[in-house]
Amino acid sequence: MGTLNLEALSFHYPGRGETVLDKVTLAIPAGGIFGLLGPNGAGKTTLISILAGQLRGATGSISAGDETLEALRRRRPHSLGLVPQEYAFYPMLSCAENLRFFGAVQGLAGARLKERVEAAAAFARVESVLRRRAGRLSGGLKRRLNLAIGLLGQPEILLLDEPTVGVDPQSRAFLLESIRSLAGAGRTIVYTSHYMEEVEAICDRVAIIDHGRVLVSGALSDVIRDGSGLEELFMQLTHRSLRD
Amino acid sequence: MRRLLALWEKETLALSRDVLGLAVLFLMPAAFIVVMSLALSDVFKGGAVRQTAFAIMAADPKLAERLAQSLAGDGFRAAPAPADEAAARDGVRRGTPSLVLVVPRDFERALSAPLDARNTPPELTLLTDPALPPTQLLAFRQRVLGAALGLRVSSMMRRAGISADPDAFDLKRAATLSIEAIGNSVRPSSVQQNVPAWLIFGMFFVVMPISSLFIVERREGTLARLVSLRVPFSLLLLGKVGPYFAVNLAQGALMLLAGRTLVPWFGGETLALPGRWDLLAAVTACTSFAAIGWGLLVAVCSRTLEQATVIGGVGNILAAAVGGIMVPRFVMPEAMQKLSEVSPMAWALDAFHAVILRQGGAADIAAPCAKLLALAAALLAAALWVHHRRRVLTSAQ
Repeated sequence: MGTLNLEALSFHYPGRGETVLDKVTLAIPAGGIFGLLGPNGAGKTTLISILAGQLRGATGSISAGDETLEALRRRRPHSLGLVPQEYAFYPMLSCAENLRFFGAVQGLAGARLKERVEAAAAFARVESVLRRRAGRLSGGLKRRLNLAIGLLGQPEILLLDEPTVGVDPQSRAFLLESIRSLAGAGRTIVYTSHYMEEVEAICDRVAIIDHGRVLVSGALSDVIRDGSGLEELFMQLTHRSLRD
Repeated sequence: MRRLLALWEKETLALSRDVLGLAVLFLMPAAFIVVMSLALSDVFKGGAVRQTAFAIMAADPKLAERLAQSLAGDGFRAAPAPADEAAARDGVRRGTPSLVLVVPRDFERALSAPLDARNTPPELTLLTDPALPPTQLLAFRQRVLGAALGLRVSSMMRRAGISADPDAFDLKRAATLSIEAIGNSVRPSSVQQNVPAWLIFGMFFVVMPISSLFIVERREGTLARLVSLRVPFSLLLLGKVGPYFAVNLAQGALMLLAGRTLVPWFGGETLALPGRWDLLAAVTACTSFAAIGWGLLVAVCSRTLEQATVIGGVGNILAAAVGGIMVPRFVMPEAMQKLSEVSPMAWALDAFHAVILRQGGAADIAAPCAKLLALAAALLAAALWVHHRRRVLTSAQ
């Protein structure tokens, strides 16, 4: 899979006047971690939802290499994985049941399903809690289970929407290390976060968006060339007024 | 198919962990079946087992005795006459006896006289307990008029010099009337009304677990994740049909069992089983599809668990009240009976009665089953349309 290209992507929710995404153009190279930053309501989650196929009706184009993302997903349905910011699993099921279910709805079965469940659980280090109800796990374990589910189909493109919210420093360090290792395997990772130090630590390229528009985009080293740090740049571009 | 099976398995696991939800689905209708079958048992026996006491106040003790003999039976029992009219009124006010017939002193003589020019028949007074069911009052009134007619004819024949046995004018001896219920050798009973009625009510309560899990799925982002995995929304809805269909069938089997064992154990009648189990299964299946369709629409329309509880719960109670589940349709006034035809629970009850009470065939259940299936299809289509319109998966908003 080549670069993920977003070309003049615009979107507004039906019946609402405001444009949530306004001609967003981004190039996300394969095999790296792309940090997508922006204050609350900037359009990050909408952009992730469009990439994940949850929202339809966007104008512009999204291509993956020399084909559209839609064509790639038709050809290889599980080429894209999503780790949403919510704990998107069933709290009343055990971790193993959740993993088996999300594997099965992706068409995995038998020995292949078992193998993928074991591999994803091992990667996210949730093997020891596989029999426990997902709803009774700690915040850090829930985040790791969320990541494991996103990896079941071995996606080439992985969308991580604030995957470290509400976890302790140990779990955060583990998650960041895991995400870095995923990128090393040639995956394209789109990573949204409010934690600037995380983005600086793991992302190769970043884009800051606000009010649906790209304010700055490029290699991390180019974007913070003056040495002021990502947080300073972010506050400069998006201003200090409260958004919520 | 593999994905559908995975969805069914997930739904079954989730439902099996909701002990309270399962208890509502199975214990609630069973409790209603027992309580209502016992509470309404007299209503369904047509009043024959309800013994209503009456007394005759007449100056002539022989006339009082003749009238008492003539009026007793078929649910009416003669009681000793009160000392005077004031005592009679006081007794009726307390309900003991429920009826007192006050016969004027010259009643028999007035009967033998020809009707006067104004055609005014001799007057009798009936003191009644206001709590007495109107049908019983009407039945007693007809018996009194029949007895009075017998006395008049007997008197006229005596005047004409024709001798006749006084018993010949007893209304009870006028003819032997045998009543034959068509279709079932066993008369419809309270348990036969209440088992299907509360089974249907319980089946429609799958709206609660269907909608609550769906709302949790939407709130937790699970639904959005499934859509991102390219699981079609229609498949997600179908993924809920299989497990709840099985739950509805299990409800059917257990409620029949309750009618066979629990109700008689508490002193009620035993449910007579139908002859055609295949038709019973077909009716249960059609009712189940309608109930699940309703559950899916409520799930998609409701934004919160509270909304789902109100829409689903109140909707079910209204449909049950109108559809003859809570109050049998035959006791409703005509306008309400007409209105009840709009309730899917009434269609289901008609179909169950066709099989259980009337031992009907496929033709008898075709119309209500077709209506239930059409409703199920319409509700599923509406759920898909509402989802499309409301974009329920857009958690990004």
